[in-house]
Amino acid sequence: MVSALFPLQAIGATVRRKDKTLIGPVDLALGAEGITIVVGPNGAGKTSLLKMLHGIVRLSDGQVTWACTTPEAQARQAFVFQTPVMLRRSVLENLTYPLRLAGMPKAQAIAQAKDWATRIGMAEATSRSALVLSGGERQKLALARALIRAPDVLFLDEPCASLDGRAMREIEALLVQANQEGTRIIMSTHDMGQARRLATEVVFILQGRIHEFGPAKEFFASPDTAETSAFLKGDIVD
Amino acid sequence: MMMSVGTDAQAGDMKLAVTTSFHNSGLAEVLLPEIEADTGITLHLLVVGTGQALRLGAAGDVDAVLVHARAAEDSFIAKGHGTHRREIMYNDFVLIGPASDPAKLSAASTATEALISIATTQSSFVSRGDDSGTHKKELSLWNAANVTPEGDWYKSVGAGMGAALNTASGMGAYVMSDRASWLNFGNKGGLALLFAGDPVLFNQYAYLPVNPANHPHVKADLAAQLETWLTSDRARILINGYQLSGEQLFTFNAAAAQQD
Repeated sequence: MVSALFPLQAIGATVRRKDKTLIGPVDLALGAEGITIVVGPNGAGKTSLLKMLHGIVRLSDGQVTWACTTPEAQARQAFVFQTPVMLRRSVLENLTYPLRLAGMPKAQAIAQAKDWATRIGMAEATSRSALVLSGGERQKLALARALIRAPDVLFLDEPCASLDGRAMREIEALLVQANQEGTRIIMSTHDMGQARRLATEVVFILQGRIHEFGPAKEFFASPDTAETSAFLKGDIVD
Repeated sequence: MMMSVGTDAQAGDMKLAVTTSFHNSGLAEVLLPEIEADTGITLHLLVVGTGQALRLGAAGDVDAVLVHARAAEDSFIAKGHGTHRREIMYNDFVLIGPASDPAKLSAASTATEALISIATTQSSFVSRGDDSGTHKKELSLWNAANVTPEGDWYKSVGAGMGAALNTASGMGAYVMSDRASWLNFGNKGGLALLFAGDPVLFNQYAYLPVNPANHPHVKADLAAQLETWLTSDRARILINGYQLSGEQLFTFNAAAAQQD
């Protein structure tokens, strides 16, 4: 149950490397439902925020907590990166790997992987090497590999960056379906159109701090600050 | 029963090329005085990388080599540079990372699983990137895992083990280290040993006497005498008994000499 993990809270969470603050201090509380979209200018800290919440960067200060223990929460999450790492194996083997790792019998894992290959439109490509896939195919495969174990929470860092319209549409459809099936989605994008299509709430990051956070409708319709308004109008904000 | 190896108190000097990791482990400081006391051989160590050690052997600049790179050793023998290869002992590589272990290495059952977890979670990994034996081993493990390590998460530092561990400590990153370097490392910070024990992480050391047919000046008799000592019960006890921070670093696994 997703609700057992939330709220996800960041309290004064900060990541510094050497003398530079990458993100923070961040104070944020996310509930169990919806799709949270993180937006902001390049270099504002979107990726760092996602990694911080997912727990794959070490905090310099503050804390990130879940309603359950952190190891329990981490076991129920997945992360799709902007440039996912593909195993030098076939499409099918990339999909069966996480299932086999979880102890699923081989025949069952293969059946489930084939089902997912069909869902992402790659049923005819299961024997192809993952390394020769196009950018869009790779991203769909990475998404399927993340969703195949039905995570309660899915983080995505700019999953559609540099993809064409068709691939973007397919990925957005997968995300909406996953969310409808119960996966909580927290994702960054630089594409305001995508943010408007997917978001139920928006986090606007500026200079490593959360500048504005709220329901998507309000964020887009009546931003609180001049910086947010400028950003939404396409002005350069940093 | 312990084999007697103390036969010749005036045997002489001998040159042995060894790897830096062996020397840095501190084991040489334990073994050399015992070898001299038992055999009379005064060992002069040339501490270099495995590749350089084998080149010294091929040139006849040393009487024997003690290294850890199986493919290169086999080639050394095949080319006639050495008379034979004798396994002596092994140590192991370990995977180090932030104690919070976001890639969940501690739950992995094989080194391959551990590396795939690092790659697929794109957790920061520090590579020596210096073409050392440790670096080559790391690359072979990535290859076995069917992963091409590249991207922002993979930091190649082009430096020695201490510098790589320091970088990992500063970044909260994963890194592969030989166990001795990890135990000797003083700036552990939030790092912890998270994965070890897969046999693919074992690091086999072998002794290869230089072929006197190529270089008549090499001291083949002393090399043979040293081999007898290195494969003796005396060596087994000293090697297995050598500890750092309460941990055994090397495991003696020399097979008994074949009887003709």
